[in-house]
Amino acid sequence: MTAISTPEPAGVIHDIGYRHYDGARLGRGHARVALTRHSLRGAFGLGRSFRAKVMPFVLLVIMLLPAIVSIAGMALAQQRGPVIDYPNFAATMSVVLAIFLATQSPVLVAPDLRFRVLPLYFSRPVTVGDYVVAKVTAMSLALLILQWLPLTVTFVGELLVNPPGDPGTGRYLASMVLSVVYSLMLACLGLAIASLTPRRGLGVAAVIAFYLFTTAVSQVLTEILGSMSQDDSAGWALLINPFYLVDAVQVWLTGASAAMGNSYPGGASGPVAALGIVALTALGGAVLILRYRKAASA
Amino acid sequence: MSTVAGISYRMVIGRRRIWLMVLLPAGLIALAVLLRMLGSADERSALMLMQIFGVGTMLPLLGLIAGTGVIAPEIDDGTIVHLLSKPISRPAIAITKFGVAASLLALFGALPAFAAAYLLVGMEAGIAFGFAVGAFAGGLAYAALFLLLGVITKHAVAIGIAYALIWESVVGVFVPGARNFSIQQWAQSVAFQFNTSGFFTKPSVGIGFALIAIAVVTVGAVLWAGQRLRSFTLAGEE
Repeated sequence: MTAISTPEPAGVIHDIGYRHYDGARLGRGHARVALTRHSLRGAFGLGRSFRAKVMPFVLLVIMLLPAIVSIAGMALAQQRGPVIDYPNFAATMSVVLAIFLATQSPVLVAPDLRFRVLPLYFSRPVTVGDYVVAKVTAMSLALLILQWLPLTVTFVGELLVNPPGDPGTGRYLASMVLSVVYSLMLACLGLAIASLTPRRGLGVAAVIAFYLFTTAVSQVLTEILGSMSQDDSAGWALLINPFYLVDAVQVWLTGASAAMGNSYPGGASGPVAALGIVALTALGGAVLILRYRKAASA
Repeated sequence: MSTVAGISYRMVIGRRRIWLMVLLPAGLIALAVLLRMLGSADERSALMLMQIFGVGTMLPLLGLIAGTGVIAPEIDDGTIVHLLSKPISRPAIAITKFGVAASLLALFGALPAFAAAYLLVGMEAGIAFGFAVGAFAGGLAYAALFLLLGVITKHAVAIGIAYALIWESVVGVFVPGARNFSIQQWAQSVAFQFNTSGFFTKPSVGIGFALIAIAVVTVGAVLWAGQRLRSFTLAGEE
């Protein structure tokens, strides 16, 4: 028996059972839809722990409270009109929408940044643009659900109770369109601010700080200018609050009353507010694209 | 202890968090300057600025950012285990971190409140001094409360803003009884004590109740946070 045999080959590729993917390649469009769907579910904590669901669903229930009060009120008093008129719903409930935006925006953007998985996304057919569009779409849809559900419940309630007078169909439809504007603007702003930090807690604080800061500045200036009886300047100061930008456009286009008893300055304020909305939305979108271009290369 | 304090300071000041901490008081002072230029530097404007912006907006946000900022990032990253493995008593860690948060609130909250009110009315009617003391007292309670929240839950900031916005701002407006459990109202009550201006409507919370409440919340929350740290378990990512 010879002691020395031929040496074993140095490197062996063992078959450890990796399988090839032979199915259909669904491509970029499918990836976009999947990412949007995943993000939208994440915004409501679906597919996550119970704790992640508490905040979004509590806020959804709070959004539905005025609808219940309105329907009960219309049934008992036999009078037309919800407690908050349809087109003023979002601006009146701005606190709830802002808290939802602040708590859920970081949920959508922070983990991918924190765990540095973005280069993995972008090694697939998904581009930076696709990623940003998917996230903005998901957040906008989430905010839309938060507005469309109570608006529609109220309207259906109004039709069923059918108190004397004409139903507010026109105002309801206007509010449905208006909520698209609110959702898109808020989603772009909220996600842009949240994407600046990989920490969820800080992202929440930053988004709510933006809302509180603009609200407080606009409120202080409006009240002080109003007390100096400079009503025109006071009206302009209202427009520092992004929610009132959309409300001012609503007043300009539909001629309905403003939310919270506000009075916006006449004349140019409507078009200026519309420009402001476009500018804020575009700014948010641009920040997002730049942020993710940088993250993709990091 | 100074090391623990140093780490905590660096965690808030040395990161992006500081931009938020600077932006809010900068906004307050900018508003004061703007109001001065508009020619409405009177007691009424000063009070409105302090109540709506100073105590109503800036203070809870700063409390949230500083209070959770001194501990939550460490828990998030898991680096807190290094601190907890050292032979330092856990309550002492909580007290040190509270001290850091409180000093930051004094620097970024109470001091700018004084400066902004001083810009508008000088030392008139005790507004500047009153709101500086009020903001400091409220800041203590906020720092302690949000520090405790940061130790208890990973959703500290979300719960904190729900408290500050829904409970203090919305429920407090409709339900007078809710104001008794609002740190903002306690801060206003303290500020009212130094006030001699007729424009300041008497806060609904008495000074005796406010002082006791601030003391109880501050001491209780810091002690509870220390207690929680003694039996601390790191939870994984969701």
